[in-house]
Amino acid sequence: MADDEFRQQALQHLDALHNLAVYLTRNGSEAEDLVQETYVRAMRFSHRFQPGTHLRAWLFQILRNTFLTFYRLREREAALSEDGVPESEAPMFHDAPARDSESAGAHMDLERALTKLPEEFKTPLLLAEVEGLALEDVARIMDCPVGTVKSRIFRAKERLRGYLTDYKQ
Amino acid sequence: MGRLLRERLPRYPATPVLRSAVVEALMPAGVRQSWWMFWLPPACTAVATALVMLLWIAPSLPSAPAGDPAQLVARAVLAGHARSIFWGESRSDVVPAALPRAIAESGVGLNWVFTGDEEIQLINAKPTYLEGRRGIELTYQDAAGHTVTYVIVPGGSVALPERGRVQIDRWKPLVRKENGFSLIMWRQQGLLCVMASDLVSDEDLSRFKQYFVKVRSSTGF
Repeated sequence: MADDEFRQQALQHLDALHNLAVYLTRNGSEAEDLVQETYVRAMRFSHRFQPGTHLRAWLFQILRNTFLTFYRLREREAALSEDGVPESEAPMFHDAPARDSESAGAHMDLERALTKLPEEFKTPLLLAEVEGLALEDVARIMDCPVGTVKSRIFRAKERLRGYLTDYKQ
Repeated sequence: MGRLLRERLPRYPATPVLRSAVVEALMPAGVRQSWWMFWLPPACTAVATALVMLLWIAPSLPSAPAGDPAQLVARAVLAGHARSIFWGESRSDVVPAALPRAIAESGVGLNWVFTGDEEIQLINAKPTYLEGRRGIELTYQDAAGHTVTYVIVPGGSVALPERGRVQIDRWKPLVRKENGFSLIMWRQQGLLCVMASDLVSDEDLSRFKQYFVKVRSSTGF
């Protein structure tokens, strides 16, 4: 694939990559750094990309690996138990588009609940359910068998349900 | 649950700034070079004109005192301190995890650090660069919400002037006010230590000095 074509196609996935980066880093500027680093790496290793395979999945894989390498060290998950985040934690962004209060509340609950998930549960859930990637692609990104991905997605949903029930009460 | 996530979970698309930064980063080197080449001649002309004008009016400008290393350090610390205040870099729940890593990455061998009491709390710790020196930056916040930045860097060559030294408890650090902030600077075992705060009034300054005593007496290298 020519460099120009590769660049054009890679840029089409910028929004999706940024979205995942925000949910992984929970920090706007770190998310932007992560996305930029992802693209720089993708260009550096573009010769390794096999035309005909899923570029979107390949970019997600680079983003996740970059996150694990450089950003996870800073993650507060390391300092917390798997299920625990402070109750007073603020939503990631304060400049979200205006919505009616009930809907905005639901969004925040969902975001907060998602924040509680460990990365190995959160990433496959977002990739499969929000980004619509095939389980095989998610498995490649997560570097684990498809069965494991299914199991993690199932467990992630179970936990989310539990968290959301807690919020409603 | 999948439907709920797709429909209710907010999406965060890339900002225009990020988009242009990524496009710029992906631009081939040749294209970037030609872009620069396009702007280079007028930019050089403008710089040359500015230099000529500067040389012409320089003699009439008020002369500044010779470079004061302590002042350079002070201004660099204040820049970091202002960032801490304006960008809200305090993340109190991160400190327990961040502190050992910040110490390890800073190269400053801290054996003991003041983590706070009922008046003032350590809320952030991170490695930092100050005038080319690698060090550690600790951020405290007091009960009134004032932020205190404490920077420790190897500072063997930085001389602190005698003028401006103030006796505080059993130490005599340099106390300064600069750009609306207060600074306390001292040398300790080959390290340069600087505390910066927005505590500037007489009453606040005495409180800042109390914080200095707490930090100074509790930090071990």
